[in-house]
Amino acid sequence: MNPELVEQITKMVVEKLQMMTAAGDTGVEEGKKITNEDPPAKMEVKFWNHRTNHVETECNQNPGCTVSVHEQEILLEPKPPVGLENPFNKEELDLLISKTPARIGVGRAGLRPKTDTWLKFRFDHAAAVDAVYGDVDSKILESLSLLKVNTKVSDKEVYVRRPDFGRKLSDEAKQLIDQKCKKSPTVQIIVSDGLSSKAVEENLEDVYLSLNQSLQSLGLEVGTPFFIEKGRVAAMDDVGEILTPKVIVYLIGERPGLVSAESLSAYLCYEPRHGTIEADRMVISNIHKGGIPPVEAGAYIGTVVQKILKYEASGVSLVQKEQ
Amino acid sequence: MKFKGPQKEEMISAGIDIGTSTTKLVISRFTLMNMAGGAHVPRIEIIDKQVIHRSPIYRTPLLSPTTIDIKKIEDLVRKEYQEAGIEPKDIQTGAVIITGETATKSNAEVMLHQLSDQAGEFLVATAGPDLEGIIAAKGSGAYEYSKDTGKVIANIDIGGGTANVAVYKSGRLCGTCTLHVGGRLIEFKDNKIQNISPPVKNLLSQWDSWMVEGQNINPSAIKQVTDFMADVIARMLNKALTNEDLPLLLGHEPNWVEDIEAIMFSGGISECIYRHETGTVLTDGYDDIGLMLAASLKESSSLAGWNWVKPQETVRATVLGAGMQTTEISGATIEADHRKLPMKNLPVYQIRFEGDFKTEINQLSKRIEEALDLYDPQRDGQNFAVYFSELPYLRFREIDEFAESILNAMKQKPNQTQALVLVLDRDYAKVLGQTLKRKAPVQSIICIDQIKVENGDYLDIGQVLESDVVPVIIKTLTFQK
Repeated sequence: MNPELVEQITKMVVEKLQMMTAAGDTGVEEGKKITNEDPPAKMEVKFWNHRTNHVETECNQNPGCTVSVHEQEILLEPKPPVGLENPFNKEELDLLISKTPARIGVGRAGLRPKTDTWLKFRFDHAAAVDAVYGDVDSKILESLSLLKVNTKVSDKEVYVRRPDFGRKLSDEAKQLIDQKCKKSPTVQIIVSDGLSSKAVEENLEDVYLSLNQSLQSLGLEVGTPFFIEKGRVAAMDDVGEILTPKVIVYLIGERPGLVSAESLSAYLCYEPRHGTIEADRMVISNIHKGGIPPVEAGAYIGTVVQKILKYEASGVSLVQKEQ
Repeated sequence: MKFKGPQKEEMISAGIDIGTSTTKLVISRFTLMNMAGGAHVPRIEIIDKQVIHRSPIYRTPLLSPTTIDIKKIEDLVRKEYQEAGIEPKDIQTGAVIITGETATKSNAEVMLHQLSDQAGEFLVATAGPDLEGIIAAKGSGAYEYSKDTGKVIANIDIGGGTANVAVYKSGRLCGTCTLHVGGRLIEFKDNKIQNISPPVKNLLSQWDSWMVEGQNINPSAIKQVTDFMADVIARMLNKALTNEDLPLLLGHEPNWVEDIEAIMFSGGISECIYRHETGTVLTDGYDDIGLMLAASLKESSSLAGWNWVKPQETVRATVLGAGMQTTEISGATIEADHRKLPMKNLPVYQIRFEGDFKTEINQLSKRIEEALDLYDPQRDGQNFAVYFSELPYLRFREIDEFAESILNAMKQKPNQTQALVLVLDRDYAKVLGQTLKRKAPVQSIICIDQIKVENGDYLDIGQVLESDVVPVIIKTLTFQK
């Protein structure tokens, strides 16, 4: 190909891109509006700021701030895909789209997805990866006065490859829990990052406060809550052995997907001990902004705990006893 | 109530329709089930509706042309309950409706109240031409048709006294209209005209017609009237009513904007057209213009332009709609004080969260004052429901502030022992209810969600079911945009 032609094509592409940016301005406006309504929604993917080191310092000065002005400028989520340009029945299509978070009606460019669709997909994928490899902000744990302990896992690579290590508390953790936590409470709340630190950061406060309110109004005694870093669900069995609570509520980040990377689950179990079978654990999943609102989930978990205590069973055993 | 396993539940619904010419009743059984997966917060839905008993079509018993024979209606209801093998206390939801001209009878309201008290604990008494049209469209299958095809369909339910029209597109209500068009508007006896209803009299006076009560029947003159009625229906569907047509219009003009693609007839006149009911000679012996009106509709060239869709139900459309299509189920995570339920006829005051959350909750007191001025101007304790819509995503601390503002604002209510009835469009009912209870332990609270209502709707809330949901009937008169 001759260099002149290459230059001409490049020029055309750049011009086209500029035009699209201009047209995309309305999209930017919309993005900002959403950000204003939902402050916690600001950041799904960490964009590393290559230009300044402002981020950390600004945040330290201002306790309520998690994102600096600079960061916000680059933190624009890609617009949702424009979709089909001339749908046969727009009303029906909009109705279908409103019913699912799946990527339907996104249109195509020849055999490939449109650039917008593709970027959104890459963005969601990146958010999922970040959620797995990130760490929970210690400020959140401090604000809820959660003690932090470890499992037998040292780093995330091991965590991913060796689920069995994530199910065992480290010796220091066992000691610390034994020393600091109330013994034999009715309800023991545990938090863990699991596969999504993002889930904990986004939802923990609301679920936790709402759950506490619910348990208090039901008159149930709550033990000393703590945070298990890089934990898996069955780590509750170790806790059950040490503290012998009646019920454990274990809030843990779910494996991130492409629809949400910040979904939290609450696992519940009646008297978990070593040897507890999985069928006796139960879960309330999909706790996030686009699923069950965290505040409502907290209120609901309280009533489930009450039911577990009434039947002295959880999971499949609970269902059987209920019948 | 039968309780089948942890996830299935049944409830009995009754529908009673007392129309101008006929009265009928259906009893149906709804099956409720948790449709969310085991790992999710429950979502209870009505998964099956079965009619367990259909009454015959009775002639509406009248004591005089202006009074309903309440006792006969009660006997009739009791007899049908017996035949269905149920008792009034088994009935958990449903509707008694008085339709057409019967609603204008002198003792209609007394009867509604008596019936809704005796016929079951949670039965809603309702009337009104717009609502009748909506209920009939749901019972006839027109609503389903619009949902399935995405088309604009007008359901025209013609009984003895009125023609109630409801227009649906893709399951969305576009508008309603009611006409004085019905089989009983001119009645005969011994080959003579016995009675002409006032709207038709007005029409005839416009025509300088000689037709009066006591005359011998003149088929061609009658046909002129019924043909005219068919034409009025066509003009109404086209939103092109003329001044000459106005005597036959009841209430407002057609209020939809869409062009109608298909039409469906239900009601007694539809039975004269389609003859759905087998075995009974329903359409004979009424001695009125019903059959001639049906013939005029069939022959009408102005109505022939639309696609006529066959109804699933003819004369029973309204009663089936009333018995089977009026009940909704609330979200499963709610707070509801069962001592205060059921509640009937609560007017709804809508508060939209259009602006910033803080600004909105600061204005809450003012908004509640507006609600009181509207629904309880004398401050004599008429309760109402507040519907919070377009709620933003709320954090726990915001729920807490919200609850505080609600309790403060509600201090203006004259009767503090009344339940606070709150309806939310987002799934926050349980947490808000719990927060309110923590702050005001003695206050009785009914806080439900996942129900869509509008300003000016009326709400009936039934008793809490085993699966922790409440049945709700929304009597809506507004149109979805």
